[in-house]
Amino acid sequence: MIGLFDIYTTLFRTDLAVQFQYRGAMVIWLIGRVIEALVFLSVWTAVAESQGGQAGGFSAGDFAAYYIIMMMMGHLTFTWFMYEFEFRVRSGSFSPLLLQPLHPIHRDIAMNISYKLLTLVVMLPTMFLMVGLFDPTFNTPTWAVWAAVPVVLLAFLMRFFVEWGLALVALWTTRTEAANQVYFAALLFFSGQMAPLALMPEWVQSLAALLPFRWMLAFPTELLLGRLKPDEVLQGLAAQVIWLGLAWGMMGLVWSRGVRRYSAVGS
Amino acid sequence: MSYLRLLWIFLRIGVMNELAYRANFWVQLLQSLVSMGVALAGLAVIFSHTEELGGWQPAELVALLGVFFLMSGLIGVLVQPSMQRFMEDVRQGTLDFTLTKPEDSQVLVSVSEVRVWKFLDVVQGAVLIGWALAEIGLQTSFMHTATFAITLVAGAAIVYSFWLVLATFSFWFIKAENILVIFQAVYSAGKYPVAIYPRWLKMAMTFLVPVAFAVTVPSEALVGRLSTEVFWGALVMAVVMVVGARVFWLWGVRHYSGASA
Amino acid sequence: MSEPPTIDVRDLSKTYEVPVREGGLAAALKSLVHRQTRQVEAVKEINFEVAPGEIVGFLGPNGAGKTTTLKMLSGLLYPSGGQCRVLGFEPFKRQRDYLRQITLVMGNRNQLIWDIPVLDSFERNRAIYRIERTAYQRTVDELTELLDLAPFLDKPVRNLSLGERMKCEVAAALLHKPQILFLDEPTIGLDVTMQRRIRSFLAEYNQRYGATVLLTSHYMADVEALCKRVVVIHHGQLLFDGQLSELVQRFSPHKTIVVELENEGSDLSVYGEVIDGVDGRVSLRVPKAETAQVTGRLLSEQAVLDLTVEDPPIEDVIEQVFAGV
Repeated sequence: MIGLFDIYTTLFRTDLAVQFQYRGAMVIWLIGRVIEALVFLSVWTAVAESQGGQAGGFSAGDFAAYYIIMMMMGHLTFTWFMYEFEFRVRSGSFSPLLLQPLHPIHRDIAMNISYKLLTLVVMLPTMFLMVGLFDPTFNTPTWAVWAAVPVVLLAFLMRFFVEWGLALVALWTTRTEAANQVYFAALLFFSGQMAPLALMPEWVQSLAALLPFRWMLAFPTELLLGRLKPDEVLQGLAAQVIWLGLAWGMMGLVWSRGVRRYSAVGS
Repeated sequence: MSYLRLLWIFLRIGVMNELAYRANFWVQLLQSLVSMGVALAGLAVIFSHTEELGGWQPAELVALLGVFFLMSGLIGVLVQPSMQRFMEDVRQGTLDFTLTKPEDSQVLVSVSEVRVWKFLDVVQGAVLIGWALAEIGLQTSFMHTATFAITLVAGAAIVYSFWLVLATFSFWFIKAENILVIFQAVYSAGKYPVAIYPRWLKMAMTFLVPVAFAVTVPSEALVGRLSTEVFWGALVMAVVMVVGARVFWLWGVRHYSGASA
Repeated sequence: MSEPPTIDVRDLSKTYEVPVREGGLAAALKSLVHRQTRQVEAVKEINFEVAPGEIVGFLGPNGAGKTTTLKMLSGLLYPSGGQCRVLGFEPFKRQRDYLRQITLVMGNRNQLIWDIPVLDSFERNRAIYRIERTAYQRTVDELTELLDLAPFLDKPVRNLSLGERMKCEVAAALLHKPQILFLDEPTIGLDVTMQRRIRSFLAEYNQRYGATVLLTSHYMADVEALCKRVVVIHHGQLLFDGQLSELVQRFSPHKTIVVELENEGSDLSVYGEVIDGVDGRVSLRVPKAETAQVTGRLLSEQAVLDLTVEDPPIEDVIEQVFAGV
């Protein structure tokens, strides 16, 4: 355990140093994410206004709050491993990782967290700026803020394992674009990004309850907006734990199969 | 016209090359269909809650989407990959090779890379436009078609010039490619009518990343919402940008060759 | 010798499936639907043993199977047939205890992190291999001294030249004091001075710490400088395993004399076998024993502008080895 702690602190330190050098690219990436959130915000605000101020129980202020929080949740949970893995396999930098006495996932966890810590420095002020610009409506009870800590943590881990597992497809084929795109399309609809899930047709909502995406983004967002009752939150936490277990199991399976396959074929 | 011949040769080589990779076709087909599906599903969700968005009817928005894909396809086949390849070459220092060839460097750089299968986006866009026009029940007159065609060409010229300006910047800023992230984000905002966005984003979409001219204006022409001022504005913008980008390019090339000599 | 060999390879084989793609439009369209593959035998039933502390050179032209063999021994690839054991482990299982005792350095790949000082990359390895701090510091000091790394330690890797980078890569690979070193083309692309530097370092390292070294190269000079024992691999097969001197003696009993004459077009076949004659530079193959004599005759009987005596290129030696089997 001590060894693992030492490993993580060392990896963190060096990752921060590397990422700081690419801060220009990071800021630009953030701008892209902000614009993305703005598009949805603007669309639904327009819808609300055309309907006399409200659509599906959301006012313009509600939509603004929803998408600002959603943007933050998206930022705290996103990963880029699908592209990273494809690059690693193609460039041959994956092999050395296999020969180190450390599971490659640790490096990726450290890199992901250090990236988020660094970008939080810019993300938080941006969020406050958006609050100032769009006049969102917040009704968050205090207990929800505390409950959000484990919820967001679980959402992060869940999404991490799902996407890391998916990224391993690169061990079979470097043509991962199609699979990635389908994943992101599913994420868009079932995680509450396209529209708050309450505004989706019934069948989408039913399906969303069975898929992991809702628990990655919509659930923490709705919690922080004060739109969930305590027992709903407990149910959600249970769903997150179950999905975390499933994702971890799948990931382990795909990893051992994938590495076997990679070792059969080489780089 | 030796430039046309040059274009034809590059296209033929590019096509032959792409055909050898069977997967590219299927991947692009899947990707195009998925993006179309996602966009249409999004519209379906929006219109389950309202009858109009920013003053646009559902069928009109499908037409907008069609023009969006059409333009993506047109740019994605030749302009975008070539410009990205150029920026990569500058970064790697392999550019001098292109600049020493006898043909006009701008032409060479603009046709250096082809992504044939992106044409599927153009087809997709056309299908959406066709369906939308039928839904709207618009009578297509010669004037109407001509206006659409002109604004489309103007839009394409503006986007091309934008790319050229971006590429020229990479003579000085090697990391200019990062801007692509912003380009993608702002461009994808063009799926919806510009009217719904806050003022500053509208400005950015008109003058910074000219997606308003590339997508919204031709769509307005298509569904009969185009005002005369905007029409002439688009044409003026197109001329200004094409000329301006070329001047900037030539200056950049001179500067670059001077620097590395 | 009752001690088991450090590396034990028996009937090791590796076969790949490679897609077949023909040219032309019709074939390209056909391949959209149906993909054909063929088998490539990269390594065919090779056998050898390595004792602790040996330095063994794997010689062979590109594509001969050397790198594949090394990848199997390090654990990156698993064999299609036969078996290999290193330090008693089956490499492809990649057990932690095994990985901590080996290292793989590939000549044209960097494992160091591009944007941070070399010492920071070293730190990462220290943590990952769980090297105890005092031992780590001692190792860093020793390697810094042996490789003259002092001026580079605080520079980001991207600011170093290829040779400096290679020295740092090698050092990083040795921080955990591995018992087995797998080196794949470690001197490729380096200038002559740097090649010699790395070679002398490896020899010194082997002397000091008794590490077993397996080295692949297609530079004869690497092998000559470092390895008493060579293994020749060609077309996936082991063609020779023994002392280097014996290899040279047995399979290349010739030297090549390249001579440039004033008057082109003279017939030099009386001196030896003419293998090449271009632009007035003639290459002659002569038996080793006669080299001095033929050289003397050429210098006295011909108007010589330039003359060099060379070993035949490694490919020729391999050809001879193959021809002899």
